Amino acid sequence: MPRWTRFRKLFGLEPKGDVEAELAFHVEMRVRELIEQGDTPEGARRRALERFGDYERARDACVAINERRRTRMDVAEFFTELRQDLGYAVRMMRRTPAFTAAALVTLALGIGANSAIFSVVHGVLLQSLPFRDAERLHHLQMLYPDGTKYDTLSAPDFMSVRAGQRVFEQVEAMDVRPLTMLGAGEPREVNAAIVSVGMLDMLGVKVAIGRAFAPEENQKGHAQVVVLSHGFWQRVFGGDPAVLGRTVTTAGNTYTIIGVTTTASSLPDPADAIFPLEFDDSYDATAQKGRRSEFLEVLARAKAGVGPEAVDADMKRIGAQLQKTFPQSNDGLTLASIPLRDLIVGDVRKPLLVLLGAVGFVLLVACANVANLLLARGSARHGELSVRSALGAGRARLIRQLVTESILLGLIGGTIGLAIAYLSTNALISARPADLPRIDDIRLDATVVWFTLGAALLTSLVFGLIPALQATNEHLLRGLQESGRSGGGGRTHRMRATLVVVEMALAVILLTGAGLFIRSFMALTEVDPGFQPGGAMTLRVSLQGADYANADQVRARVAQLMDRVRSLPGVTAVAVTSTLPLGGLGALNDFAVEGAPPPPPDVNAEIAVAGATPDYFTAIGTPLKRGRFFTELDQPKSPPVAVINEAAAKKWFPNQDPIGKRVLSGGPHEIVGIVGDVLQRTPGQPAAAQMFLPYTQRSSRTIRLVVSANGDPLALAPSVREQIRALDPNLPLAEAIPLTEMVSRSVARPRFYMSLLTLFAVVALALSATGIFGVMSYSVAQQSKEIGIRMALGARAADVLTAVVGRALTLAGLGVIVGVAAALALGGVIRSQLFGVTVFDPLTLAAVITVLMLSATLASLLPATRAARIDPVKAFRQ
Amino acid sequence: MSQGGPDILRGTLDLLILKALSWGPAHGYAVARWIEQATNDALAVGEGTLYPALHRLEERGWILATWGASENNRQAKFYELTRRGRTQLRAEDQNWRRYAAAVFAALDAPALD
Repeated sequence: MPRWTRFRKLFGLEPKGDVEAELAFHVEMRVRELIEQGDTPEGARRRALERFGDYERARDACVAINERRRTRMDVAEFFTELRQDLGYAVRMMRRTPAFTAAALVTLALGIGANSAIFSVVHGVLLQSLPFRDAERLHHLQMLYPDGTKYDTLSAPDFMSVRAGQRVFEQVEAMDVRPLTMLGAGEPREVNAAIVSVGMLDMLGVKVAIGRAFAPEENQKGHAQVVVLSHGFWQRVFGGDPAVLGRTVTTAGNTYTIIGVTTTASSLPDPADAIFPLEFDDSYDATAQKGRRSEFLEVLARAKAGVGPEAVDADMKRIGAQLQKTFPQSNDGLTLASIPLRDLIVGDVRKPLLVLLGAVGFVLLVACANVANLLLARGSARHGELSVRSALGAGRARLIRQLVTESILLGLIGGTIGLAIAYLSTNALISARPADLPRIDDIRLDATVVWFTLGAALLTSLVFGLIPALQATNEHLLRGLQESGRSGGGGRTHRMRATLVVVEMALAVILLTGAGLFIRSFMALTEVDPGFQPGGAMTLRVSLQGADYANADQVRARVAQLMDRVRSLPGVTAVAVTSTLPLGGLGALNDFAVEGAPPPPPDVNAEIAVAGATPDYFTAIGTPLKRGRFFTELDQPKSPPVAVINEAAAKKWFPNQDPIGKRVLSGGPHEIVGIVGDVLQRTPGQPAAAQMFLPYTQRSSRTIRLVVSANGDPLALAPSVREQIRALDPNLPLAEAIPLTEMVSRSVARPRFYMSLLTLFAVVALALSATGIFGVMSYSVAQQSKEIGIRMALGARAADVLTAVVGRALTLAGLGVIVGVAAALALGGVIRSQLFGVTVFDPLTLAAVITVLMLSATLASLLPATRAARIDPVKAFRQ
Repeated sequence: MSQGGPDILRGTLDLLILKALSWGPAHGYAVARWIEQATNDALAVGEGTLYPALHRLEERGWILATWGASENNRQAKFYELTRRGRTQLRAEDQNWRRYAAAVFAALDAPALD
């Protein structure tokens, strides 16, 4: 015991009283002395006080000294006790290595999984976007009467917003598209951002070398400059500062490199090169023409203090104005805005939060499990705690000691968890799941470390406090005479049983969630995409540069290219399209049936348009329903024809035969065929109305070559590339992918969410099964005497076995009841993430209940067998 | 007991308290009385400074306090020297003697020449 604890008692609880007693004694002694010298009592008292001087000041000075000393002693005492407790905790951990390992593994998994998911949530959702005043940036949208929102505006509408808005400091536009660049090593396809010059400043994009755009560089004739991104500069020019002043060529125009951005700079869309937009005549707030040619992403920074609602309201106001001023083009359309962050991460927010919640449940299960272990050990330590209590340690002191042990466990577990989180986060990032937005912003930074520390501490309290309270319960500590083994068995056991029920319930919730995600993922993969991806591969080719100045040159080259590929052995069909299945809607054009009355304004008069060569549908394996495919006779100058999908036929020609009908969409076309629906977006979204035009009549520079073959289509990729290179070595080629890749990409996100949730559910199940195992083993050990008696009285081994398993199943059953109720109550949270399955899915619930009951049975089998093997004679002797 | 003496020098009071306790445990009043008598009441040691000084010495760990019964059977706080306090007393004693000797030597020294 440290020296100063002896002094503590001197002060009692109150230093002031102590000092006053001391000083009063002094004054009293002085008075007595004065009286002895012949003074009157009153006089003596007066003189004694007079002699003393400033009584209150002296007293306060003494009290202040004592209080200071006491605080210091309290702190010292705290640390001494902490050192004792820690030393004790370390000894305990060493003495019970199995317990320690089990607890640490459980905690490390629970905390590690939480930190990993938190680092994803933090990187993607919480951290602000890497732009200046990112919270004030908004993205403008066109809102069509049928409720569809498009993320691009036309040039005149952009200028109208610029001129008429009241809520923004700055409104800028950007056109992002792939371009072929010459003059930067070999010809390559680059992601180009073509921007209004203020965009860079608005987003906080800075140049590391050279200069940014000058204000006049959006004007016609000035736009012959380019700023390279830092990454592109490093990758292609090896970070050579001499690139400034050099030129690159795209689409026949030459651009001078004037600057390179800093590493920290980025645009919302990844861009290799940034060009200024050339403001032609359509960039006019008063122009009527070109209002429905929507290709600009418009971003704007709101004035300080103006919220999203006010911004959206102002856009609606401008939209209404435009409807009035330009009824031909803008009737029924309005403008809307969405905070840039929501646009980027909007559709992953909810599933990520669901995952965070799920992994939180896993941590709770881990806590319950460790609490269970601690409760079991608490019973084993009952004797030791009784001794310490008898030696004068108060309950608070014992609880503190036990909680210190828990916190030490939690912190070590958290440290291992951090390592797990680091590894799994890195694995997650390098796996690039499901083009998760902002995936490069995910990292294990200080915030995540703090989160982990907080989680570890909180966890320690959660799992440590109940066992500590339980173990130091007055009843348990009363007297040493009780035999250590049976100390407080009943209460502790009830507590442990409750924890197991809670674990089971949490596992049920997670299993149900995982089950629903699995079912919905299976439903997604079972959706017929409308094509047979099996035997085909695809490759993107961009035909740009001086050799492809006009459409005839492009078409001629595409025809040559297809001929060469067709001649390769094993090739069964070769086709070209502008838009792949599951590759998005592609171009959207206005659509009308010739002679039909205009549709009501709430019908979206748009159709997805794609160019395709005659063999396209053969190559992707989509059936012709009526009419004909395109043929070699559909040439640029021959009558314009079109093939529509069934969705379009249903939408525009209900109860009619579309074949032979003429439709207007950027010119008249005659419908010659109907093909089956091919999904364009994801399996969860139905096929939209789509119209195919012969590639010869709708040619594009960027084409997707589709090659179907006998056997593995990807085996053909090298020879296909060779053929293309032989035609034109300057063509940039993207990587060839099997068409099946389009299918798996389309369900990549659901698969990602499903995999993680399933992993969590399995961990929770394993932990709760361990929990059941622990509780049953303990209770069998506790009741071995009782079981022995029953066996001596004639109970058979099978009866004992059934009884133990039955107890486990009762606990599991309670967990199932609570868990199913909670799962159904929580179902609404994931409803929007599900496809083809409802929250109340009997199959999932049945599977979950079966799995849980089965694992409870398995977990209790070992303790049950042990119980059945109890030898009555030995049990009595114990 | 007069108020007229010179003010006690800083540090000197600590030395006198340590000396007062060097013969054994004593309460604050006894310490005050001993200083009065030993100095023939020439130094003005007010209780207002004595008690904070006692507590300060206790804080430094030079003396140690315990409640005990006084000579007239009242509860009083007794102070005693700790081992560190005793060491401190020896050091202070020597310091003070050297200091005083130096000052005396200076006072008795002849004028500058």
